[in-house]
Amino acid sequence: MSEKGNGKLPRIGVYICHCGLNIANVVDVEAVAEFAGKLPGVVVAKAYKYMCSDPGLEMIKADIKEQNLERVVVASCSPLLHEQTFRRAIQEGGILNPYLYTHVNIREHVSWVHASEPAKATEKAKALVAAAVRRVSAHKPLERKRVDVNPDVLVLGGGIAGIQASLVLADSGKKVYLVEREPSIGGHMAKFDKTFPTLDCAACILTPKMAQVGNHPNIELLTYSELKEIEGYVGNFKAKVLKKSRHLYLEKCTACGECAKVCPVEIPSAFDENLAKRKATYRPFPQAVPNKFVIERLGYPPCQAACPIHQNAYGYMMMVKEGKFAEALEVVLRDNPLPSLCGWVCTHPCTDTCTRGKVDAPLNMPGIKRFIADHAGDFALPMPKDFKENGKKVAVIGGGPAGLTAAYELRKRGYQVTIYEAAGTLGGMPAITIPDYRLPKDVLKKDTDRIAATGIEVRLNTALGKDVSLSEITKQYSAVFIAVGASKNRRLGVPGEDNSWVLPGLEFLGRVNSGERPNLGRRVVVIGGGLVAVDAARTAVRLGANVTLVCIESWEEMFARRTSEGQKEVEQMKAEGVEVLTRWGPKEFKSGGIELKSVIRVFDESGRFSPQYDETKTRFLECDTAIVAIGQAPDSDLFKSQGLSVTSWGGLDVDPVTLQTNIENVFAGGDVLGPDVVVTAMMAGKKAAESIDRFLNGRDLYEGRELEGPFEGVARPMDLERVERKPAIRMPEREPSVRIKDFADVHSTYSPEDAQKEASRCLMCSICCDCQLCKPACPVEGCIDYSIPDEEIELNVGAVVVATGFKIFDPKRIPSYGYGKYPEVYTSLEIERLVNSSGPTEGKLVMKNGQPPKSVAIVHCVGSRDKNYNEYCSRVCCMYSLKLAHLVHERTGAEVYNFYIDMRTPGKGYEEFYHKLLDEGIHFIRGRVAEITDWAIEPSEKGKLVVRVEDTMAGMVRRIPVDMVILSVGLEPQPDAQDIRRLLKLSCSSEGFFLERHPKLAPVSTVTAGIYIAGACQGPKDIPDTVAQAGAAAGEVLAMVDRGYIELEPIKAHIDAEDCSGCKMCNGLCPYDAITYDKERKVSEINEVLCEGCGTCVAACPSGAIDQDLFENQELLYEIEGVLKYV
Amino acid sequence: MVKRVIRTQEDVSGGFVDELTASPGSEALRDCIQCGTCSGTCPVAIYMDYTPRRLIAMAREGLKKDVLSSFTVWLCSSCYACTVRCPQKIKITDIMYAFKRLALREGFYPNKFPTSVLAKEFFSEARKNGRISDIAVAIRLVMKTNPFKAIGMMGLGLNLMRTGRFHLFSPKIKGTKELQTIIDALKEEGHA
Amino acid sequence: MPDKLRYAYYPGCSLKGSGRHYESSLLSVFRSLGIELEEIPDWNCCGATAYMSIDETAAFGMVARNLALARKMGYKEIVAPCAACYLGLKKAQSYISEYPHIAEKVCSALAKTGLECGCYDAPFIIKHPIEVLVYDYGLDNLRDKVKKPLTGHRIVPYYGCQLTRPFADMDDAFYPTIMDRLLEAIGAEVISDYPLKTRCCGGSLTGTIPEVGSRLSWLLINEAKNHGANYMVTACPLCQFNLECFQGRMKLWEGKTPKFPILYFTQAIGIALGIERASLGFGQLVYKPTMI
Repeated sequence: MSEKGNGKLPRIGVYICHCGLNIANVVDVEAVAEFAGKLPGVVVAKAYKYMCSDPGLEMIKADIKEQNLERVVVASCSPLLHEQTFRRAIQEGGILNPYLYTHVNIREHVSWVHASEPAKATEKAKALVAAAVRRVSAHKPLERKRVDVNPDVLVLGGGIAGIQASLVLADSGKKVYLVEREPSIGGHMAKFDKTFPTLDCAACILTPKMAQVGNHPNIELLTYSELKEIEGYVGNFKAKVLKKSRHLYLEKCTACGECAKVCPVEIPSAFDENLAKRKATYRPFPQAVPNKFVIERLGYPPCQAACPIHQNAYGYMMMVKEGKFAEALEVVLRDNPLPSLCGWVCTHPCTDTCTRGKVDAPLNMPGIKRFIADHAGDFALPMPKDFKENGKKVAVIGGGPAGLTAAYELRKRGYQVTIYEAAGTLGGMPAITIPDYRLPKDVLKKDTDRIAATGIEVRLNTALGKDVSLSEITKQYSAVFIAVGASKNRRLGVPGEDNSWVLPGLEFLGRVNSGERPNLGRRVVVIGGGLVAVDAARTAVRLGANVTLVCIESWEEMFARRTSEGQKEVEQMKAEGVEVLTRWGPKEFKSGGIELKSVIRVFDESGRFSPQYDETKTRFLECDTAIVAIGQAPDSDLFKSQGLSVTSWGGLDVDPVTLQTNIENVFAGGDVLGPDVVVTAMMAGKKAAESIDRFLNGRDLYEGRELEGPFEGVARPMDLERVERKPAIRMPEREPSVRIKDFADVHSTYSPEDAQKEASRCLMCSICCDCQLCKPACPVEGCIDYSIPDEEIELNVGAVVVATGFKIFDPKRIPSYGYGKYPEVYTSLEIERLVNSSGPTEGKLVMKNGQPPKSVAIVHCVGSRDKNYNEYCSRVCCMYSLKLAHLVHERTGAEVYNFYIDMRTPGKGYEEFYHKLLDEGIHFIRGRVAEITDWAIEPSEKGKLVVRVEDTMAGMVRRIPVDMVILSVGLEPQPDAQDIRRLLKLSCSSEGFFLERHPKLAPVSTVTAGIYIAGACQGPKDIPDTVAQAGAAAGEVLAMVDRGYIELEPIKAHIDAEDCSGCKMCNGLCPYDAITYDKERKVSEINEVLCEGCGTCVAACPSGAIDQDLFENQELLYEIEGVLKYV
Repeated sequence: MVKRVIRTQEDVSGGFVDELTASPGSEALRDCIQCGTCSGTCPVAIYMDYTPRRLIAMAREGLKKDVLSSFTVWLCSSCYACTVRCPQKIKITDIMYAFKRLALREGFYPNKFPTSVLAKEFFSEARKNGRISDIAVAIRLVMKTNPFKAIGMMGLGLNLMRTGRFHLFSPKIKGTKELQTIIDALKEEGHA
Repeated sequence: MPDKLRYAYYPGCSLKGSGRHYESSLLSVFRSLGIELEEIPDWNCCGATAYMSIDETAAFGMVARNLALARKMGYKEIVAPCAACYLGLKKAQSYISEYPHIAEKVCSALAKTGLECGCYDAPFIIKHPIEVLVYDYGLDNLRDKVKKPLTGHRIVPYYGCQLTRPFADMDDAFYPTIMDRLLEAIGAEVISDYPLKTRCCGGSLTGTIPEVGSRLSWLLINEAKNHGANYMVTACPLCQFNLECFQGRMKLWEGKTPKFPILYFTQAIGIALGIERASLGFGQLVYKPTMI
């Protein structure tokens, strides 16, 4: 203390408050005053009955003038209550800076806690006063900072609280941004039918207010939006809000509802508490504000995401479910030019991820796709409306799935495409090797012809390297796609493999497919565990042989069984009488049969394929023909000869993302990279087409291709336990004994009815199925646009009102009440919907069987007043239970039993309402329900729900059978309340509701200046209280912003740049992000305006470079000194 | 026959509730909100002279004599249903045990009332042999309380003999001395 | 297949007496599954319910002796098939760890006999055989072992009270499903919506106040019949004793003796595993299910 450093102390006045008897009863205030008077520096010390009263304050002011005091100490109640009062007083005194003052709490800290020991209490009071006196001499004058206030206000939550606050603010001319995460405002109140105790209908009083909000010039309504970020400080907040896309233009939508009419999706409506269904394009309820629709899309569903070509299976399922088979085909062809091929032989990873699979059995997506193609019969592939030739020429070498897909994709983009195919027909491997019973030729031909028909030149019997060389081709075409597949048979490399009776699998299948019927003899052994082996085995069966399939893998490892499709194949094979011999490998082909050796392992520890045999353990298998189908390999010599680089194991060496080869305008994909399945080959085709298109237009080959290939999809939250089981509808399958007699199809396609049944098992994971029916249905041009993205907007506001509301307690957590187990047990909110005239039953209160209940139990305090769940009383349940009791009785005439612990009806007209119900003959039984079961002891209880309870008033245990049970569930904080708390730096009470600054004196303010709370987010409360609190919050906001500026408490931390080591430790610790690091000067700096003076940084600073007003070391040391001196 | 039922402060014994809340497991007794969940849950409450809820109310008011001489405590078969459901987390079953112990210690329990006899039989048997034979205890119980019932129970006896589950004597463990040392060291004051 | 499962084994008095067929079936089943139980040498009564009402601390002392003996064997887990013992052991442990003064008393009492009480060591994990089978052995492994699935056996799974209460860490305290899953795994048709799964069977009241105790038992049997059950399985010797041996009294409410079979769950499993009835203690059953 510079000027006082010389020992000369400031002139101090000390004032001890009796606080009526609060303090004086315990503390000998006069003695304290007398003691204080003797302390160094003190020129006047007085005690008075009410220091905070006018006379008290006047006395202090007078002393300041007369005794020209330089410092003041008041010992009274908590500083929370009156510190400001006294600071103001000495300031008004005109001569003193309000911070040359110290407040001592001798009530909460002394008299109230030491009531039993007056003497000691008095001593403590003296010590505290001594400390304050010593401390105050070190105080320096501080200046309050002023900052301008942005008058705009952000209101979070569009329930009745948010609506009320917004209207008050907007009416007083303030600009209000109202952010609501649902598509409409209205909150819980919009779900109610009537309101207690007056029984006026919720809609009648709410919807006008909602409309006002919708039309108010000062309110910008941001529905279907969420607060993402907020920074800044009181008066000057910057908020980031995410506006989720509605996939339509709000201003264009007329809410005609045509889109919803055609939408095939039906999921439970959250607004109707899942008692009714809604479409993917919907508005929560007819009176919604804004009265607009939303197209809710979560993204790719699991099936589509898992598909390498992202075939929209969900989309065509919905179309089939609706019987719109033509539209279904459109959806299929959008991503897939080979519908039949996929429908018949795809390994369909989609089904393996189907959510329905977790419930009972996955949907048969390939089966349905096949049905769609079969049903459509003849059709052409779609070409873009704006199709035009671009004059560029591209060659596709190989007419298999990869080549065909690429060709079509390129053609759509306007290229002139030529396909070079070595074989005499298009289709590639499937055409050559897949037997007719799995894929009839004509079916495949239809697919390939369609592609050719899009204007693609096809050159059959033209093999790369034989009939034409790559260099010749590259001369004529600007780009080339190589997809010649893997046509080389792998060899076993065991003795006797070249015997005439040992056939390579592909060659064998090829011959049979081209109509040959070779004589294999009686006994045939097929070597191999893959799909080709299975094909070979089943083909051999159809040629009349007894077939044994031998593979080195164990049953579990078997290659063919790795996909569900393969598993089906294997099952059918076994049904057709093929014997399977696992864990044996061929040792030698001897005359009359094969010598097998037993397998030790197939894969090594790291899962790599490296078979090991026990050469000593062998067995001999007699046979007339052996077919070796242990896989195929790409023809690496061919590639090398054409100047293409090859990987170590013989596949073409390409860039995994772009499929580009070592020759820049030559791309390659499909089995040339190593054998794989049809659909991955098609993916390669798509990727190649994209790459070639980018390449020839000089666009970047890499960017924005993350979504190519399989990934994990999204599914809406579902309670799979409660999903209705629907057994799979199987495709008709011919008897094994019959089907092995010919090569005709094993299955026959679905009937339209069965297809629809199967499709309707879909669980509609991602809500919008992207069928795109609503766009044409919409009468407004350009209203619906599926490509509208989510949008993040930034708002500048001066204050925030948080009105995020509550969620109801989930009664599933109390198994004894049977919610979710017994269909006639409901939550109160569900009943609100059932009795609501705009609800799912138009206000008829009926049970699931359509009959009105004859007796209804209303169980109070469900999840409330219970230490196992929520200890607090939810305040509103008694009253809404009364309301529901009245409505139920009025609508159905049922006997209604209320089971309560205590009736709590404090509020205007509430007790009267209670009496009204007593007079109506509603039963009131005091006792908390123990359990609800369907256990019938008496005949009268059969088929009813039995409520077991102690009637504590009558003093006996009772069993009461009822038709329907209503659980009066309590109120809980929103599930994401904690996120909001973190975002806005609020604090929460133990049960998770937002905490007000002071329970009595600042009920709508929070610990963060400029942020206010209203409604049930602060604690359970009913509509009248909520509206009142919303008004209060609005009032507080107005008081703040209308002043135009705010004064910041000057208690700030300061960094002494000299001592700061620039360790940045404080930067992260500051809860208000007030500290930044100055790179030039290599020191941290505190933004005075952001700093709230919490002191965290002061304590943390390792070099002691941070000091804080009113808590400077000097001041604290003096305070301690003061206490110690005394004791 | 009319009965005069009234309680004056003469019937109230002060320290009773403190005595209870001091015993392990019974601390929460005062938290009771008289909701009756315990009584509603209890499968035998319908046979009790006072439901558990009422017993707690009485205990809280210090009506020691009424509480300890009521049948209720002896009807409790300690299925713990009340304890699990109590919204105030009161360990009602443990409180019932506390009542039983006090009743036995202070001689309030109804004389010859089977449950209390069973408890004592159990006690001495276990202390003596280290293990007990449920059947043996049961039989001695019957003899002590109501010998005539024994005839009624012949059927049961026959059944057990037929199925080889009948045996009169409890097996003795080696460490009986050891066990008795432990028990006697832990015996709460005020009872044998 | 889980690696070798080994536990200390606390049978309790009943399994040596009226519930001996519980023990025989339990041991046969565990043997055939390769689960090892080592009986605690010279164990004593767990104190049980009645003892609690004489002198709680002494009861804890009795448990403590058993725990001390088990500790000597070097196990971490104890299997207690009797629900009363299961609860008794758990309760004693929790009180000893919750109340220092109890721990102190118990320790000094055991010290007198030179036993290491281990009150301050990590408590034992007390397991019921059901937990061992479901959580440790695994239902899939059990399924593989089933030779004669109990197809068509409509079984009521009766848990009794003290298995899931008050220490409901095994499953829900009132509506457990753990034994349901166990029985489904052996192919039985489990009546899962039986509402009285954990309702008291009458406990010791069957002996002390028959008209109350046996009435409770009868309600259970009657409701089981209403659900069309062939028989009921229990996991507690007292329940089995009450439900089976006092059916004669139930004439009072049913007009005739129900003659309703009450098995131990271990006996049902034994049958499914193809173990012969003799070594499953079927001889000790008063009423046998017709289908077995």
